[in-house]
Amino acid sequence: MAEKQKFKWHSWATPWVLIFPTLVGLVVFRLIPIVSSLVLSFTKWNLITDPKFLGLKNYVDLFTDPDFWKILGNTLKITVGYVAGSMVFGLLLALLVNNKIRGMNFFRAAIYMPVITSSVAVGIVWTRILGPKYGILDFLLKKIGITAPYWLQDPKLALWTLTFVQVWKMAGYYMILFLAGLQSISHEVIEASIVDGATPTQRLFRVTIPMLAPTSFFVLTVAIMDAFKNFELIYAMTMGGPQNATNTLVYSVYLNAFSYNRVGYAESIAWVLMVVVGALTILNFFIKKYWAQPLE
Amino acid sequence: MVERRVSKVIVIFFIILAVAVSIFPFIWMLANSFMSEDQIFALPLKFWPDKLFKKGMWDNYVEAFSNFSFGRYTWNSFFVSFLAALGQIIVCPMAAFAFAKMRFHGRRAIYTLLLMTLMIPVQVIIIPEYYLMMKLGWLNSYLPLIIPSFLAGAFGTFMFISVFEAIPSVLLDAAVIDGASAYKILWRVYFPQATASVATLFIIAFMNNWNDLLRPLLYVIKPSLFTVTMGLTRFQNQYTTKWGLVLTGSVISVLPLIIVYIFCQRYIIENQMSSGVKG
Repeated sequence: MAEKQKFKWHSWATPWVLIFPTLVGLVVFRLIPIVSSLVLSFTKWNLITDPKFLGLKNYVDLFTDPDFWKILGNTLKITVGYVAGSMVFGLLLALLVNNKIRGMNFFRAAIYMPVITSSVAVGIVWTRILGPKYGILDFLLKKIGITAPYWLQDPKLALWTLTFVQVWKMAGYYMILFLAGLQSISHEVIEASIVDGATPTQRLFRVTIPMLAPTSFFVLTVAIMDAFKNFELIYAMTMGGPQNATNTLVYSVYLNAFSYNRVGYAESIAWVLMVVVGALTILNFFIKKYWAQPLE
Repeated sequence: MVERRVSKVIVIFFIILAVAVSIFPFIWMLANSFMSEDQIFALPLKFWPDKLFKKGMWDNYVEAFSNFSFGRYTWNSFFVSFLAALGQIIVCPMAAFAFAKMRFHGRRAIYTLLLMTLMIPVQVIIIPEYYLMMKLGWLNSYLPLIIPSFLAGAFGTFMFISVFEAIPSVLLDAAVIDGASAYKILWRVYFPQATASVATLFIIAFMNNWNDLLRPLLYVIKPSLFTVTMGLTRFQNQYTTKWGLVLTGSVISVLPLIIVYIFCQRYIIENQMSSGVKG
């Protein structure tokens, strides 16, 4: 990182002055809360009276609660659906917008637009679009003779509907990540494959997609992390319902802590989330070393 | 040649389809804000808003701004997001300059800790943070919305570390020989070299704070302090089936960001492209 300087151009205190605000933020708003939340996960607490030490009871309760397994299952289903959806659509969109066509910057910006708008507004407008009877989707489906299901009210379907909206909102983001990968593939490789007589399909599956392996892996890890970030969408669309069908780890932390006043219990859920995210981060770190090798 | 032209037509067709799917919900949001309640619950559904360019066209907007103070919410969001973003473009380059150009004890350790906290979901830290804000007496103020974002901007710090590392160190050497202090070198030499990144970080931080829901939900109880995203959820709860009104609120909440986005999309997309290449 920093190159060696031949002589001292700043005092020992200068870097500390510069990182002081960041250091305060790191300690006060990250490290202390992380440690406190772990400690609190072993207690019974309501934010007002003193916390009572419970040992592992919260975790025992958690792992014997069928609702928790349902919530964990929901989280995994959303993750799988979201990662698959955002990678497939992200790549397809990137292949589309990688063409040289006039006005392409406008098209890219338009597809990216849902990424920058608030999940709350997105959740509201999709609730309207998917609404039973008066929603535009149901209306259009009826025209071609299909009776639409209850997208958000059917407990079997609501989770997938929610996942779809999350993918719709974020697809533009993955499109740009894949586009960056596509544009970093050297033209020589592509040209060589054309000279060798590869058909466009062969070129896609034998050259482009294998060359995208490092990008795909990066996108995969980003997508897994993003899959957990659906608090706002759930709050705006389903509030975790119907019958817990769309409740996830991040949403149930909020519910337990701030609606049910079970703060210690909420912290134990938060730490399950933390362990999942931590494991993925470490896994990512080790696999990245493997992918970071040049492909040639 | 014919084949190539056909494939180009197919590509354009799918791009237009993708654009349509991406922006239709926003158009529908806008269209609904000009519809009467009668039209919203009329079958068969009519697409053209009945009040558009007619008497009472702005009824929903008038109601949103008078009964629910959306004007106030929008201003609050602007205020909070502006200060939080301003904090980031000051604090992040400072830390990044120290990490990128200086050597000090504990530099690696702090760098690694900072990197590790990037991945942590907000739900893991929010409860102790809430307790801290309660003890500080900061509930029902903007401080909990601004200060954490102000001080704990790891993303921006890493962004500026790579920006500063890419600036040739000849610049640093020259400034040092001229006798400039470290602070002067940061603010007068390095910072002005990175204006595009400053703008990008400002926009990203501004948008994140504008769209945030969890913190306003926890920290702000007084309606006069609501941010527009937060106000929108309250609006939604109160007028569950009044779609015209609820979607008008949605339009008000997203429009300022979309306008900013139209002017700044180049910065945002380019920044994201470069983060994608680095992996």
